Amino acid sequence: MLKYIVKRLALSVLILVAVSLIIYFLVRLMPIDFVASNAGMNSEPETLDKIREQLGLSDNSFVGIIKGYFNWLGNLFEVENGVITLGKSFDGQKPVSQIIRQGIPTSFVVAFIATIFEFLIAIPLGITAATHQYSFRDYLITVLVMVGISLPSFFFGNVFKAIFADLLGWFPVSGGTDASQSTTGIMDVLSSFRYYILPIFTITILSLGGRMRMTRTNMLEVLNSDYIRTARAKGLKESKVVTKHAFRNTLIPLVTTLAGLIPSLFSGAIITERIFGLDGIGTTALTLTNKGDIPFIMGYNMFLATLSVLGILLSDIMYAIVDPRVKLE
Amino acid sequence: MDKKTVLLKATRLDEKGTSATEVIKNEEIKIEANTPSEEENVPLDKNIKLMSPTRMVIRRFFRSKLSVIGLIMVIGLFLFSFAGPILYHVIVPANDVVGSGYKSDVTISENGFDAWYENLMTRGWQQDEKDESGRWENTESEFIVIVDGEEVAIKQTLQKFEKDSTLARPSALHPLGTDKSGYDVLSRLMYGGRVSLIVSFLAVFIITVLGVVAGGIAGYFGGVIDNIIMRICDILMCLPGIPILLIVGVLLNGWISKGYGFISGESRIYYLMIFISCISWPGTARLVRGQILSLREQEYMVAAEAMGYSTFRRIFKHLIPNVMPQLIVQMTLGLGSMIIYESTLSYLGFGVKAPNTAWGTILNLFEEANGFEIAMANPLIWVPAGLCIVIAVLGFNFLGDGLRDALDPKARR
Repeated sequence: MLKYIVKRLALSVLILVAVSLIIYFLVRLMPIDFVASNAGMNSEPETLDKIREQLGLSDNSFVGIIKGYFNWLGNLFEVENGVITLGKSFDGQKPVSQIIRQGIPTSFVVAFIATIFEFLIAIPLGITAATHQYSFRDYLITVLVMVGISLPSFFFGNVFKAIFADLLGWFPVSGGTDASQSTTGIMDVLSSFRYYILPIFTITILSLGGRMRMTRTNMLEVLNSDYIRTARAKGLKESKVVTKHAFRNTLIPLVTTLAGLIPSLFSGAIITERIFGLDGIGTTALTLTNKGDIPFIMGYNMFLATLSVLGILLSDIMYAIVDPRVKLE
Repeated sequence: MDKKTVLLKATRLDEKGTSATEVIKNEEIKIEANTPSEEENVPLDKNIKLMSPTRMVIRRFFRSKLSVIGLIMVIGLFLFSFAGPILYHVIVPANDVVGSGYKSDVTISENGFDAWYENLMTRGWQQDEKDESGRWENTESEFIVIVDGEEVAIKQTLQKFEKDSTLARPSALHPLGTDKSGYDVLSRLMYGGRVSLIVSFLAVFIITVLGVVAGGIAGYFGGVIDNIIMRICDILMCLPGIPILLIVGVLLNGWISKGYGFISGESRIYYLMIFISCISWPGTARLVRGQILSLREQEYMVAAEAMGYSTFRRIFKHLIPNVMPQLIVQMTLGLGSMIIYESTLSYLGFGVKAPNTAWGTILNLFEEANGFEIAMANPLIWVPAGLCIVIAVLGFNFLGDGLRDALDPKARR
């Protein structure tokens, strides 16, 4: 097991290097010139060139880009105030890790609560649909869930906003914090909670479908297995068969996907955050990508890639832990 | 018991060597066991309806209501987008269909200047047409100029027509009204559908070709080649989806503004979708590889090898056709997600941009200044576009689900 994990981790590092190379080349191909667009109208070309050289952007040939890549790689693990900087953003020379950390609380709270709701709603729905297969209830749930999967976030988010914020006026239209309050930390998150309600519901409804379908498929598979037939044959109540015998085995894939959820908890929902004006990591990513802030783009994308590599690895390990039949090799 | 229902299993091998087993339903072959001799003389197989695998699939597909609904949705949207504009122009005569432009005409008469803008913005807006939005803007002014030493009084009337046609309420000419730039919403919806549908078909086609080739080679040869292809898949699967697309979107925007010849605002979405296809084939490749790994061990593949067929022929004529069912399902479901990708990009302003249009572009209204207020006041502009996206994705998902059940030989229903 340990050998397997070490091997996988080594492979993950290789994958991440390849991913970072791809992203770096893409970013450097961007003709958006951060220096020129941020320096102001009056700057002289020589000054611009100097700044470019300082940031390592002056040479756009293949060798120059490779050099820039290693430069970036070198800055990645620089330590400032005891924290790894992940490079310094062009925008104000702030450490990228700090920018990412600023956005994460908002994104995390929204994603975390949405995930809890998702599980609380999707699992019972999936089980009912499976135990009443091909009934009216099954069809109704399937159709509703399909509609949920098919809704594009930008349309649904705006409809939600139009109805609940504009028409009914129950929630604020957009924004993340009350200007009147100046609390910090956890209190800050609590005080701005009513801004989070609509985004949370949007994300929940959009992700409900996948989870419910998964539960239903697994439950059906378990319900068709022999030991369930035995349980029924020995005269157990149906409710007991479902809740005690079948449901426990349905948990295996559900627990496994928990690890796979890690990336989505931290990565931020770019479009939902933008629609509801939350200042999470997604909104930051959108603005800074548009500006062409190379260190941030690299740092953010590598952050996401690392999370997803870890997510896949963790879910494989979880699978082996939860299901004794699975052996990792 | 005078009637016995006999269940018969009909197995048939077709030319391709695939076998299909179908338990024919009770009502089709009720053989009455104790009826007199004339029935017994009839050979048994006269009572059995043999069905080709294709017919069985079609039968099973149409048995499910949801898949039929999905089919209707998809066909309806295709008709709406491709045949719709043709019909629409017959019903409502149009000057200029997608053309946009402004003609400012200034004539000098003896009384002075009469200036007006002749509006050719969209279809159906004639000079003498009445304004539906109540947004006329007439400016009259008088001033005196000296021409050849003589004072001439000039009366100038400026009628700004460009505001007249924008954000109009629904009328007979414009069933859904017009949008912020004066375009007819319904015809934009139709043309937008063309772009959205074509683009997602293109993307799914590329994904399938790449996935089948990569997966086929990996699964058939195994070993080092398999390892290399699978590691490439791992790398591509770790690329963060939307953020990467943002980067490429910004990149293409920059290239357009720098004026690189081969790319324009109109063709940008195609390049973007090709890029999406190039990073999203691993899913298909894995599916094909997994299938081929199990299929290549089967007897008919040994037979194919014994017959001395070439590797190419063995992969693409004998293995791939057996992966087709799963592939078709994957493609149908992929169409839905590609439409979402395309419209998300257009919504963010990286995809199709005005004056060209796609469904997502119409919803881009929200991203503009005061967009939310305009959208709230004129829901008819954006709600139909959003509904079109939902219907398209839903239709493809229903279709894919239905096909999955219909193509699964183990399914009983």
